[in-house]
Amino acid sequence: MRSGIWPPLLLGAGIIAAWEIYVRVGRIDPLLLPPPSAVALYLIGNIQIMLSNGGATLSELLIGFAGGVMIGLSLGMLMQIWRWFREAAYPWLVATQMVPIPAVAPILVLWFGFTIVPKAATVALMSFFPVAVSTVDGLSSVNPELIRLLRTFGARPWKVMTMAALPSALPRIFSGLRVAMALSVVGAVVGEWVGSTRGLGFLMLHYENRGETAGLFATVTVLAIMGIILFFLVGWVENWAISWRRYAKETL
Amino acid sequence: MRARGVSRTYRDGARTVTALEGTNVDIPDGKFVSIVGPSGCGKSTLLNLFCGLDKPDAGSVEAPTLGAGELLGRVGYVPQQDVLMAWRTVTGNATAGLECLGCGREEARRRAREHMDRFGLAGFELSYPSQLSGGMRQRVAMLRTFLCERKINLLDEPFGKLDAITRASMQTWLLEYWQENRCTIVFVTHDIDEALFLSDEVHLMSPRPGRIVLSLEVDVPRPRKYGEVVTSVHFNELKSRLLHGLRREA
Repeated sequence: MRSGIWPPLLLGAGIIAAWEIYVRVGRIDPLLLPPPSAVALYLIGNIQIMLSNGGATLSELLIGFAGGVMIGLSLGMLMQIWRWFREAAYPWLVATQMVPIPAVAPILVLWFGFTIVPKAATVALMSFFPVAVSTVDGLSSVNPELIRLLRTFGARPWKVMTMAALPSALPRIFSGLRVAMALSVVGAVVGEWVGSTRGLGFLMLHYENRGETAGLFATVTVLAIMGIILFFLVGWVENWAISWRRYAKETL
Repeated sequence: MRARGVSRTYRDGARTVTALEGTNVDIPDGKFVSIVGPSGCGKSTLLNLFCGLDKPDAGSVEAPTLGAGELLGRVGYVPQQDVLMAWRTVTGNATAGLECLGCGREEARRRAREHMDRFGLAGFELSYPSQLSGGMRQRVAMLRTFLCERKINLLDEPFGKLDAITRASMQTWLLEYWQENRCTIVFVTHDIDEALFLSDEVHLMSPRPGRIVLSLEVDVPRPRKYGEVVTSVHFNELKSRLLHGLRREA
């Protein structure tokens, strides 16, 4: 893993260089495909706009993600505690994922207007599902012998949950969180597309309408960088929360 | 602690398994009692009934010293696997039992620290289970249960996965500990030497359905020294009686 940050960087630089050469040599219309240099210049020249709209998207995303995680965790735990609830709720949870979220977003705008609520709700709708599923998975992976032992100590179900099930579910829950984070970026942009006055999704529509392709590309770049940073942030929190795994690996 | 006419059957897929049928056992207070038998004879089922994790289909399980009521949560239990929590340190694992009983974390830690030395864990308080040897892991598991200071403790093949040398030293250690802190111990094993060396009484269980077919009193004086006891003539007489009983049942 630690072969370094260089291989991906080199590959990226190669692709960008090839793109630049292709556009210049092939005399491609910059309205269809601007060269990376133009995108970079546009990004630097409009950094203020990018950052303020990026901030708007980031806050929608984080609020929605936090909500989605809380809903996902709660649902996962309830489904683990009550078997009947799992059986009753699971098909409906799957159903929420079958409904295309972009189709639901306009309804949310109808209800909540051009506020932050429909965007955060869209993010939450997309991110809660992987969290709920990975929580159920993780919680049921706890060693049943450990649960039996804790019961001989007189542990109540809630104690078993916090002491044994949740910690042993953490690695799987974090896998779900990473998927949820990736989906959140999509959710935030979709939420902005259907009705907003700011944010990176709004900015993309704005540039598209004005035919400023370089601006469109610059916005997508900002969005991608934000997504990558958030994704790695989840991994960083995971390493901190599951620090004991370091010791487990030493002996394996 | 006693079991009277206890029966327990459970379903294993399409089969119905009769683990115990009309089984009677008496465990006198303050004694070290072993239950020996071949694999799958219902020893673990019996322990599950003793610690209240399971209920008999027929018959009764009682512990007069503990008074009437639910056994679950009042009888100490050391499981076959050590089931240490990988995310907790040695101290954190040792205090798990006390925490479940409602003891505050600080108080539980203080009590655990007092016993680290006696359990051969001094200096390893902050280690994680994966950094420990098999014998140490088992001692953490026993500390976790013994800290709860139960009058009756059930040990389900606690040394089953240890190598022979570690096992012998753990047996000696357990005996010394028991002599300092008298409690009733029900020790399940399939190792006849281990059972005879440790116990005041040994009960031999038949294959399914498990019944006690032979009960022996081990009248070897304590404190016992491993090398002396297991090579003595009397020990070997008792051992041959148990082996004979086993062969008749098999």
